[in-house]
Formats: sequence, C-alpha cells, structure tokens
Amino acid sequence: MTEPQQPAATGGSPSDPESGGAPAGEPPAVELLDVWKRFPGVVANAGAHLRVHRGSVHAVLGENGAGKSTLMNVLSGVYRPDEGEVRIDGVAHHFRTPADALAAGVGMVHQEFRLVPSFTVAENVVLGACNRIVRRAAVESAVGALAERFGLATEPDRPVWHLSMGERQRVEILKALWRDARILVLDEPTAVLTPGEADELGAVLRHMADDGRTVIFISHKLHEVTGFCDEATVLRGGETVAASLSVADTDATQLAGLMVGASPLVTDRPPSRDAGEALLEVRGLRCLDDRGLAALDDLDLAVHSGEIVGIAGVAGNGQRELAQAIAGLRSVESGSIHLVGEDRTDATPRQRFADGLGYIPEDRLGVGLAPRLSVTDNAVLRTYGRHRRGPFLDAASATGHCRDLVDRFGVRTGPLEEPIAGLSGGNLQRLLVGRELVGGPRVVVAAQPTRGLDVQGVKAIQDLLVAERDAGAAILMVSEDLDELLTLADRLLVMHAGCIVAEFDPATAERRAIGEAMIGHADVTGDPVAPAETTADR
Amino acid sequence: MSRPVLVRREQVLRGGQPLAFGIGLAVALVVGVLLLVGSGHDPLRVYERMFEASLGDPRAWSVTLNRAVPLGLAGLAVAVAGSMGLWNIGAEGQIMAGAIGAAWVARIGGDWPSPVVITAMLAAAILGGGLLALGPAIARARIGVNEIITTLMLNEVAIRLVQWLIHGRWKDPDSHNFPLAPMLSDNARLPGLFERAHVGVVLAAVVIVLFGVAASRTAWGYELRVAGSSGATARYAGISLERKILTVLVLSGGVAGFAGGIELSGTSDRITENLSNGFGFAGIIVAALALMRPSGVAAVALLFGAVQIGGQSIQTMGVSSSVSTILQALILFGAIAAGVLSRYRVEMVAGDTTGAIR
Repeated sequence: MTEPQQPAATGGSPSDPESGGAPAGEPPAVELLDVWKRFPGVVANAGAHLRVHRGSVHAVLGENGAGKSTLMNVLSGVYRPDEGEVRIDGVAHHFRTPADALAAGVGMVHQEFRLVPSFTVAENVVLGACNRIVRRAAVESAVGALAERFGLATEPDRPVWHLSMGERQRVEILKALWRDARILVLDEPTAVLTPGEADELGAVLRHMADDGRTVIFISHKLHEVTGFCDEATVLRGGETVAASLSVADTDATQLAGLMVGASPLVTDRPPSRDAGEALLEVRGLRCLDDRGLAALDDLDLAVHSGEIVGIAGVAGNGQRELAQAIAGLRSVESGSIHLVGEDRTDATPRQRFADGLGYIPEDRLGVGLAPRLSVTDNAVLRTYGRHRRGPFLDAASATGHCRDLVDRFGVRTGPLEEPIAGLSGGNLQRLLVGRELVGGPRVVVAAQPTRGLDVQGVKAIQDLLVAERDAGAAILMVSEDLDELLTLADRLLVMHAGCIVAEFDPATAERRAIGEAMIGHADVTGDPVAPAETTADR
Repeated sequence: MSRPVLVRREQVLRGGQPLAFGIGLAVALVVGVLLLVGSGHDPLRVYERMFEASLGDPRAWSVTLNRAVPLGLAGLAVAVAGSMGLWNIGAEGQIMAGAIGAAWVARIGGDWPSPVVITAMLAAAILGGGLLALGPAIARARIGVNEIITTLMLNEVAIRLVQWLIHGRWKDPDSHNFPLAPMLSDNARLPGLFERAHVGVVLAAVVIVLFGVAASRTAWGYELRVAGSSGATARYAGISLERKILTVLVLSGGVAGFAGGIELSGTSDRITENLSNGFGFAGIIVAALALMRPSGVAAVALLFGAVQIGGQSIQTMGVSSSVSTILQALILFGAIAAGVLSRYRVEMVAGDTTGAIR
C-alpha cells in the first residue's frame, strides 16, 4: 500500500489551524474542505464540507442528486476532487484509488455488494487481503472472532449465496474491518434491510463507534438518522447546508426541511373513495421461491376498483413472489389469479399487460428497464408492438410516444437515443412508472415503488399512484415503508410466511399491532380480521 | 522505486472503436517491423508487397474481397449470437456443415440449370450450418447448457464428417485412390464479378446489410437488444427468451453455413477438410473488434482479408506466412489494449507493491 501523500503545494498540514475544533485538540477523523467536483453539465459538489469526529456515528443526508454519493466517493478514493482537500486525522491525503483510501483507514460499504456468492463468508472477508496460503480453519476462526467482537452475527463457513441481504451486508462490513478500516462509510446501508435488520445494524454501528472507529452513514430515512446517529450533515445541491448538527438538538422535521430546502411536504391522506368491483382476485395461491421452497401458501386477496391495498411485512415473507406471480413472472403451483374478472392464472406477461395490468417491479434496472438501451427503447418496452410498420419499428412513432411520456411524467433526461444508464434513480422510476401508467391500466401492482428515491421523487410517484386510484384503477402496493402504506393505502394487509395474516384500516390501525402481525404473533392486539373470507369475498 | 498502475478514468475517452482499431493496426505494424528486421527482411519492402498484393490494383482487390466474404459472414454469425450475449464458437464447423450441404446438392444437381443449382446449394448450406447449431441451440434454450462448449465441440464433428465423406462415399473414382471429392461441375460455380471476385461478395454484402437493418430497425432486432441487455427484462416485456435463443443460435449457424456454401461454390474446386481454413475462428476476432455490429463486421473483415492475402503474397519473398497470422493477432491485442486505455490511464506511482489494476 502507498504511504499517505503529504500535500505538495496546496498547503495544509497536520498543524493547520483550520483542522482544529476537535475535543481535546484531537483533529477530526475525517475532514473534507471545500470540495468541488464537476462532471460534464453537472456540478455534483460545490464547496461541500464535512467534519466527523473520531468515535461518532455521523449521518450524511440529502436528496438524490444532492451530492452525497459523489462526496463519499471523493472520501473513499473513487473520485478525485477538482478542488478541495481530504484530511484524515488532520493529515491531507490525495487518494488515487480506493486502495489508497483504505490504506489511510477509509473503508466503504457500497450499496451493491461486491461478494463472491460461491465463497464462504470467511473467504470473502479475507479475499485479496491475505497474502499467504492459510489454513481455512484459522481464517474462519479469525473472521469469527472479528465478527463477535463487533456483534456481527455471522457463520464464517457458510457460502455467501445462502445468506440474506442483511447477512451479506455484515460480510461487507467485516471486509472493511478486516482491512482495519478506522473510518467506515456506508452508502444507504438500510435500503436492502428489513426493519429489524436495520435496528441490528444501528447497534453494530454504535458498537464500532464505541470501539473508537468512525462511522459515516448515508441515508434517506430520517428516523434512522435520529435513531442511530450522533451528528448529521445535510447536503443540498452539492453544498453543505448544515454541518455537524447534533442529532440530540434536532428532529426529523427540521432535517427534512433542510434537505428539501423548505418546510417538509405534509402528505395528507388522500380521501378514499368507495371501492368498486374486484379487478384483481387471487385465490388459494401457492408459489415457490427461487430456491424451490414454499413462498406463498394458500394466499387469498382481492383488490377493487378505486382502492389502494397495501402489503406490509418483513422482507422475505413472500411479498416479492406475490407481485411476480400476479405479473406472470413466477409460475403458479396451484390457485388462481383473476384480472378484471377473467382467469389469467397461466397468461403471459404480455397478455396480462394487454388486459390492463401495470407492473412496477422491485428491481428497476434488472427487470423493469433494460439498462443498455436508450430512453426511447425503454419507453416502448411494453408497447413496441404498437409502433410497428410491417416488421419494422416506426422510429418516429416510438420517439413521439417517448417524448409524450417524458413530458407528461416529468422525466429529466438527456437525448432520448442515449442509454438510460445516465438517468438518476428518481428519473428512472418516473420513466418506468409512467410507462406502466400511461395506458390507463385497470390493475397496478407496485413493488417498492418509492424505495431509494428522494423526498420529491417519492411524492411524485405516490401522487401518480393516487391519481390512478382515483381514476378507478385497483392498486396493490408492496412497500417496506410502513409510513407510506399508512398514508396511501385504503386497506392494509400484513403478510407473514407466505400468507395474509391480518387486515387493518390504515386510518385507525395501531402501529404496534401491525408490527406484531408482521412478526407473526398469532394473537394480535389490534383489529385484524381473518383474511381469507374478508379479503376475497368482500 | 516507481511503478506503473492503471487508474480508472472517470469518463471513458471518446473516439470509440475505429480509433482503437487504428491504434491496434499501428501497434501491429510497428511490432511487425521488429519481427521482420529480426528475421533479416526489409520491413518496408515486405509491407509494400503486402499492400500491393492485397489492395494495390483491381485484381488485388478482387482477391481480398473474396477472402473478406467468409471472414465477414463468419464474423456476422458470431455477432448475431453475440448481440444477445451468446457465443457461437462453432462457426468453423458450421462452415463445414454448410459446405457439406452445398456439395451434396452439387452432386445430385449436376445437370440442373446453373441458377437453380447454385440457389439450391446456398439454401442447403444455410440449412446445414443451421442444423449443426440446432443441438446447441436447443440445449441452451431448454436447459441452459453452455453454448460455448457445445458449439466448439461440434467443430470437430463437422470436420471429421467431411473427412469421412471424402475418404468414403464421396471419394472421386478418378482420383487414383486419393481422398479427394470430385471437382465441382461448372454449373455449380458462382458467376464472376470482376477480375477474380465472384458474386459471393455481393451476396455477403447483402446479407450483412440485411442483418444490420434487421438488428437496428425491426421489432425483431429490438427484442434481440432487450434480451441481450437483460434476460429478466425481456421476460417482463413478454419476449420469449427460449425462442429468441433458439432462433438466434440457429440463424447464426445458418449464416456461417452460408459462408461455407459460398466458399465452396466461389473459390474452392471441391470440398476438402481444409475448406473452413480457420475462418470460423477468425470470425470471432472480427466480431469482437466490430463490437458485434454488422456494419463494423464488414469493415473489419475487409481489413483482415487484406492482411491475410498480403501475408500469403510475401511467402515468395521468403517470409513465413505466420507473419500475417501474427499481425492479425497483434491487431487484436493492440485494439483491446487501446480499448482498455480508453477506460484506464497509466500512472507512475512511488511504492513497492506489485502493479495491479485498481
């Protein structure tokens, strides 16, 4: 590993007066000073600052496009800043590569895990950081000991493909700890976690901070910030709008206000309408998951015209499989799926779309969109058959359709012939949701439609779904964000172990009761109703 | 102590594949100079001779074009599969299978009118190549068997099949017991175009253009692009991945078979076990350099054809024909290196650990 580079001409040294301010004269563990980073047409960081003290958990907050990821990539050596300085423990560094940053003690846990599925936990942890041939047992016990020290429950000898998302994330954290990262940067670590796993992660982060390490935590979820973190820095438009706020002295409302630059949007519950006929009916549905285990077990459900039915549950209880089965992307073992009164259990995805089923899949870039294709190609993914002239695709007609879609749903995009890979997460989702809604579907299945989006993106997508409901569509919405479901849903169903275990009225439901139902407690102290009869025969 | 490391560029350099290809060619020619000087030849004279023999006059062009035909069609065959993320490594064998089909028609159609027999030969060639690819296609589409292995292994089968035929049933009774198939009759030979060039040049160009149009302008090509981008997205869009894999691999085999038919009818006197001449494998390089695009395939095939013909011509100067093979390989290396350097830059850093791509 390279030695830390002393600054050449930019000045700045361990004794630079600006780096003071830490308790007991100790320089901050991380200091980013006046960081500028420009990309063609975009200024991602415009003089951003960050100062994090050793032994603290520090949140970096901001909407999509606020420059959080760019700033963290500067800190972890992925990008070099155009201007500005990175100081670790008061020493200025010029990282060329992530390896340089790691050598200085900065380890990043990316949103997408970088693990070898067929390797064991221990093998993944030591991969590339273990020069000699070592005995497997020794490595496993060393990794086990490290995991235990930080309260990261894991089994070192299990192959990674066996693990849940939460467990995989622990392996990523272990990788950074194994490489002796003193400063851990976690990019939206809770996006892939269940609420329970997120809480566990919070405890682990605290543990690491108590151990004298420094944790930087990027998140959209305000309650996690207030729950896990000591301080928060808020970015907006590439600038630091609030630096090192003490979390104890602030609250979610203030933080949300700083993020969006105005007082937070108060989402009133849109008024419900009387539900009409059942447009989506699922009866006795059984499906297997990818590993061939039962994912849905005799599931019944009905969604009526003009209502949003929310599905709550801890991730991995069959929500994903339910959405896929309705969309025609997962084979059905037994049971039936009726769309607009017709049995469509064995229909192809294209037939179901023609019947008026819009599907917003959980995995946007892997399923809902084709990342290497252009904006236009993606806009006509469902309807390219309508832009045909003989065997040819009518480029003008497809582009026209795409232009309409982009305008109507406010997708901010470059040239329509360019691959969609350049679009931000929020715009990708607008394109995808717009494409599914533009034809006026009768039934919409939306799986995690707002996950990972910024406040305005969330609002835009939610408004679209509500408008569609008001137009008479039946909407089934799967979300891990209970607040979102309580705000939008007309009825709330809770899934556990492949069944609907309870139904709540979001207007009156108690969170505690919903939580109990989510973890499968049989005698729930809310107003759950026996699901099968009420949902299917309503 | 400083060492070079590759550092990822934040933005990929613009200029693209033609530039990378040009750099590859330049690198190949420079290294070729070293090789030629090392083996005691005057590199300028050798290069001049190569150029004259391949692109110097209409006759040279005609020979180069004839050579570009099988290269281009084999490259197209690989590119058709490659546009969906499939690798057809079996073009070599499919060329042979196509030639077998064409030769069979030529045997039974000895007294048919020329246009009829040639059309039937080419159709049989497409069928033969497609048939050889059918097994791998079904195995891949139905149960996910890796098509790289199956298509590669079938090359051997096709070549043995030709050997079996020319040692046995198809052996020319007048060949004094040499394992040779009889010469093609005149009605089974492709008409000429100019100098040595035959109409196969036009046919190949038409096929490449047709695929280019189909890939970029038709609904079929669109489905192919979606399936190549993400299989899950294709399923979501209602595109049958199974059927797409099946048709694309069989089509790919058919295109390679077509090359075999043209090669037999246009440039070879008879079917031999050397007819495919490495075109199928060269086609993989052609397709890779062309980034799996039909338009690029034509350009790269023409250049490779010129290098091959030029390489043959310098044998009379005492230079081994391996020089041309080495040049082709160097072009590929140079182009790949240029591709890497468009994404990474080289930096010297102080340090003592081993160099690595970061």
